[in-house]
Amino acid sequence: MFADCLQAFHAFSELAELAENLRVLSLNAELAAGRAGERGRAVRALTQYTRELVNRLGQIQSDTTGLMARTYAQTATALRALHQMRLLDRAVEELDRSGGEYSGPARSRLAESRDQTGRALNEAIRLMVANIDSLAARTRVVGEVVSASDSIATNIAIEAVGAGVYEIEFRTVAETMRRYVEQLRTMIEDASAAVRSATEKGAGLQRAGVSALQSRGRS
Amino acid sequence: MQCITIYRNGAHRWLAFGQDPARPENIVDTTQYAICTGKSVMLIDPGGMEVFPTMIAAVTRELAVEDVRHIFLSHQDPDVCSALPLWRRVCRPDIQIHAPWMWTGFISHFDRDANLTAIPDEGCEINLGGEARLRVLPAHYLHSSGNYHIYDPAAKILFTGDVGAAMLPELRTEMFVTNFSDHVRYMETFHRRWMGSAAARDAWVAMVSRLKIDIMAPQHGLMFRGDDVKRFIDWFASLDVGTGVTTLRNAIR
Repeated sequence: MFADCLQAFHAFSELAELAENLRVLSLNAELAAGRAGERGRAVRALTQYTRELVNRLGQIQSDTTGLMARTYAQTATALRALHQMRLLDRAVEELDRSGGEYSGPARSRLAESRDQTGRALNEAIRLMVANIDSLAARTRVVGEVVSASDSIATNIAIEAVGAGVYEIEFRTVAETMRRYVEQLRTMIEDASAAVRSATEKGAGLQRAGVSALQSRGRS
Repeated sequence: MQCITIYRNGAHRWLAFGQDPARPENIVDTTQYAICTGKSVMLIDPGGMEVFPTMIAAVTRELAVEDVRHIFLSHQDPDVCSALPLWRRVCRPDIQIHAPWMWTGFISHFDRDANLTAIPDEGCEINLGGEARLRVLPAHYLHSSGNYHIYDPAAKILFTGDVGAAMLPELRTEMFVTNFSDHVRYMETFHRRWMGSAAARDAWVAMVSRLKIDIMAPQHGLMFRGDDVKRFIDWFASLDVGTGVTTLRNAIR
């Protein structure tokens, strides 16, 4: 699950650069639209909308950094808990095997401690799954930005047709934007696949954890 | 894991736990000790987390974990104290954990919730009750820069941490050195390389030479008793230590 999260974060690692490229492109397009006067009015409106989309990407970039830090911390907690559970399980087995005169109270405390650790592990997994859900939500937003940016690129290309001497300039803007959109799309596809895989594993881990705690509770 | 009683006088006992066949091969072998005086027990260097399962099983064959009121950590190494958070889960909540002052912040990386009692540079005394008034002796730089040994004047046992340690190629059934000159080969490389300071070694030799020692109990390998204690001290006194320094001299020419 952590590896999937890492893959998603890795996919998102180019988001800041892509957002900056889009921002610069929109500024240049707005300048060109200003020079085009009345023929550039629609393009100007489209570039202003592009900057709003860029701001959304910036927010997502910031959110993702926070999610990444929390995921690292929760994974560390989960791995530590898993390691401790393994040792506590082994200790209980050793106590059962040795049957020492004083093993009873130690065994009870180990079993209790093991359950506490199991609950802490479940909580860490729950938080990780919540992070993955947040990441999935951010991925969907980037998907919306991709779709909107694609439409903007198409509309700028349409506007370019009637822009006379500014046609080449507007068409260049539209093509550059499409290239960025394609890069964003690839990023989203990679991130979405990783997030889907992490979500499935998270759900499986949560089911296993709850079931383990329930069966220990019954025993 | 083997356990032998190395001293007993009424309720006052020293137990040594080691030569563990369940130990994973890549984990260095360690010997853990417990000093018992009736209802008060101190674990000395209780070991790394990987030996915890067999150690707790061995301990509970001999004593109740409720009676463990002290844990002593001679220095900061993981084979000494990484099982601390696991021990704290089975021992009483008011257990006292003695640790070198300079390593308390570092040992907390193993167990951030542990309440550590800092041992000052000059050492201290730990009173377990009865005749067991233990002297915590400074043994800095041997090998750790904040390092302590324990002397039990009643039992005449000196716990020496890594001093006297041996890297044995295979597990032994015996826990004491029986042929000192043969045993040297298992100690020599370790002491030459791990022990960093000849000045500290000399001061330690002078210090322990003033003690009456029947048994010298290191954290790795075999224990020394009788004349082998003096043999070890004499051998160590003349050993060339700090040999790693040579690599610094030769690293850049």
